[in-house]
Amino acid sequence: MRRYLPLALAAAVSPFCARAAAQDVLLQARRIVVAPDAVLDDGRVLLRQGKVAYVGTEVPAEARARARRVDYGPAFVVPGFVLAQTTLGHDADLAERALPFTPDLRAAEAADPWQEDLLELPRHGVTALALAPASGNVAGGIAALVKSGRERAVVGDDLYLTLSLARNARQAERPPTSLMGAVDLLRSAFDGVRTGIGQGPDAAVLRQAMQGTRGVFVYADNFAELNAALDLGRDFGLRLVLVGAAHAEKVLPRLVQQQAAVVLGTLRPELRRAELELPARLAVAGVPFCFGGDPELLRQSAALAVQYGLDRRSALQALTRVPAALLDRDGTLGALRQGHAADFVVFTGDPLDLSSAHVATWVDGVLVAGSEPGAAPVAEPPAAAAGVR
Amino acid sequence: MTRLCPIVCLLCAALAAPLVAQDPAPVPAPETTPPPAEATEAPPTDNPQPRRRRRPVVVIEAGTVHPVAGPAIEDGVVVIRGDRIVALGRRGEVEVPPNATVRSFPTGHVYPGLVDAASDAFTDAAVRTDGSSDAADALADVLARRGDREDELARAGITTAYVAAASPALVRGQGAIVRPLREGFETWQGHERAALGLRLTGGPDSPHALQRQPQLQAAVDLFDGLDEFRKARTDHDEALQKYQKEFTEYLDWHRKKNGKDEPKKEGEGDAKTAPPAEAKPDAPKPDEAPREGGRRRRGGQPPREDGGGGAAEPASAPTVVDALLALAQDPPKQDPPKPDPAKQDPPKQDPPAADAKPAAKDEKKDEAPKRPTWPKAPPKDPAKEALLRVVDGELPLRVEAHRPDELRAALRLWDERQIPVMVLERAYGAAGMANAIAERGIGVVLTDVWPGSLPEAYEAFDPVALPARLHAAGVPVAIATGSARRADQLRLMAACAVAGGLPADAALRAITLTPAELLGIAADTGSLAVGKFGDVLVCDRPLLQSDARVLLVLAKGRPEFEAN
Repeated sequence: MRRYLPLALAAAVSPFCARAAAQDVLLQARRIVVAPDAVLDDGRVLLRQGKVAYVGTEVPAEARARARRVDYGPAFVVPGFVLAQTTLGHDADLAERALPFTPDLRAAEAADPWQEDLLELPRHGVTALALAPASGNVAGGIAALVKSGRERAVVGDDLYLTLSLARNARQAERPPTSLMGAVDLLRSAFDGVRTGIGQGPDAAVLRQAMQGTRGVFVYADNFAELNAALDLGRDFGLRLVLVGAAHAEKVLPRLVQQQAAVVLGTLRPELRRAELELPARLAVAGVPFCFGGDPELLRQSAALAVQYGLDRRSALQALTRVPAALLDRDGTLGALRQGHAADFVVFTGDPLDLSSAHVATWVDGVLVAGSEPGAAPVAEPPAAAAGVR
Repeated sequence: MTRLCPIVCLLCAALAAPLVAQDPAPVPAPETTPPPAEATEAPPTDNPQPRRRRRPVVVIEAGTVHPVAGPAIEDGVVVIRGDRIVALGRRGEVEVPPNATVRSFPTGHVYPGLVDAASDAFTDAAVRTDGSSDAADALADVLARRGDREDELARAGITTAYVAAASPALVRGQGAIVRPLREGFETWQGHERAALGLRLTGGPDSPHALQRQPQLQAAVDLFDGLDEFRKARTDHDEALQKYQKEFTEYLDWHRKKNGKDEPKKEGEGDAKTAPPAEAKPDAPKPDEAPREGGRRRRGGQPPREDGGGGAAEPASAPTVVDALLALAQDPPKQDPPKPDPAKQDPPKQDPPAADAKPAAKDEKKDEAPKRPTWPKAPPKDPAKEALLRVVDGELPLRVEAHRPDELRAALRLWDERQIPVMVLERAYGAAGMANAIAERGIGVVLTDVWPGSLPEAYEAFDPVALPARLHAAGVPVAIATGSARRADQLRLMAACAVAGGLPADAALRAITLTPAELLGIAADTGSLAVGKFGDVLVCDRPLLQSDARVLLVLAKGRPEFEAN
């Protein structure tokens, strides 16, 4: 029962939160990062109905006077982090392993907005994520957009198509059992659509991918997988995003040439130096990339990348604006510009310095983790409480 | 005439040589580190005195100097002569010697070289997975440079590291303190055996406390039998003293019996018959105790140190003659009985003849004393000797314990065996017993101060908040990499600890001075202070920032890394 008490409390206070959200909020802090290239010192942002209404000097005096003032003092405010690809550890429910080719399946149907993992994410700065089919299928299905706020809603069920050339997709129990077989399977399917042989929901999804109206995320790590994915992208005109891509430095020229993007896995101290330096090399080459992998370690990945040569601006972009753009949601996510969702995170200092501690996370203009200045913190989720025991 | 010149020169040289030997010119004290090529030479003079090499002087000027042991110094200067810091302070207040090499970093930050309190650098897979080590094994014997990324500690600003094998063995042998260099490392002299490692944990693979109990008990039982071992050694020492006394009496008796005088005091005797003792420095003196572990010899004399055969070389010729005469007149009837190797107690000494037969003593006062027998040394056990050093406080005990029950076992070990110096490693579950650890003065070395770094079995522990919890309780906390591959992340781990609530100055101390204190080398490194080694790390911005770049690393004043 103790385990679910915070959930019950959260549900009980949600109407009050909703009322609080109805009132304008004037957010103030020593530094507000509206976007990685637009930083307000001693800035203010007016939040209205879950969105950013005014920024900086644009805030009308009348609205400023009526709004509830939330002043975080010397803290840093940055846009909420966007996670462009995750399974939240539920790979089994996000891959139909008996069938290798299921491009029309939708991850939204397996999404549980009430799962506890989602409660943890705001503490780590994540305010929006794409729940994607796992890497076990050659063609896994369609990803869904989930907000990690108190409403915990699936806000979009029709994001990108997920393909996989990674080792997970090749299994002894069913074809394809090899990388060659996986590539052939995909190539045949796309050829079928191109020639008009392929029909049905599967073909419709592939056709959207070939027309460029739907992005294609491909799990690929080593050179052979990356090369095969890039070949597919080139031959069928796919808007390609490579997921994992631990050896992306080996195909860097092709990434630039084909304007492909990369979702990096979690950076850990033990990794090869080439992997740790990869973000800096991608940034220099102009390849769009964002941090992925473990949702709880996005900021640590970015900090490691900074240590290994990535500039801070690119690192913050890789946490916010770039993933939002890869999800085709850069009009609403990844920044604190007018009209964007009021998703932001407050830290004691620069979020890319690991000495900065998390203070609060707001999603759609509502405090979902941490505390308001001078107020008691929001109830910790059960998992967090367990960590303190 | 021309033929005579070389002869005259040779004669002069031969005559001058003893004079030079008797009155040598002053020789400069040997340097701990050889001076580099840029060492300044004394200006040549007409006086033919031997040239004295001056130690090079390096001056670091920087925007901010962080001594760690004191407040930061803005616009600071560090002066290093040879391998030691000789001055520290604000620019203008510190005298910069002429001919010094000045390195200026106007916006840079200067720190002491980092001290990694736990690393596996310079070890190979065989050492890391060796499960058969014991307390006597010294890791310093097998350390080697491999030339890969894991050797690059100096590049990360680490100038001192405690290297130990994180092997699965219960007793991991003795770790060493090393000084990483640009090309390899050097072992810190006197700290080749810096601590004894004990693995008091089953790791994440033994989830149940009962499963872990045998290992915990085995660790405590290691120290059983040490009292008996110590007693055997003490008894042997006493037996040696007794032997020496009796043997001296034995020699004296025979000397008197043969009408010889007492050995003349040093300097009184004729040089022809009694050469001074210093003429043969290797010869044992009459009052010198026989060396421990020496082989028992016929006649009971201690063995020669040089291992030569025959009778032991006496300090003076008359003593040899006396001893030989005594042996001739009182030859041994039989060899001394062979001692039982299983028997730990020293062999009983033959009681003096006077004690054995008091009546006979009265009747025959001049009866020869019985020749004493050489006491048998107890069996050698290097592992127990290492454990004895731990119990005596000469060797710190490093205990790896993760969970609370393992940590409680470590504290029990401290209590029951009265371990003077104990350091806990990877004490993930120590938050709940921080006060108990602080009360005992036990230090803690934490690795994995990184979110998500612990296995799933340890998800209840918060490695990021733990340093702050321990620090608040007064526990000395050092943050270490635990793995050479993470050398670059040492400062990031310290930054993570700050996010977990550790004050920034304590975090900096946790990777510099506190580990130096736990390793017993704080007098030489760990902070920037006059008299300490010139171990200096220069960064382009504050060390705990993610994008801080290492510009220069000096170890004992010598550059070990310099950014391009």
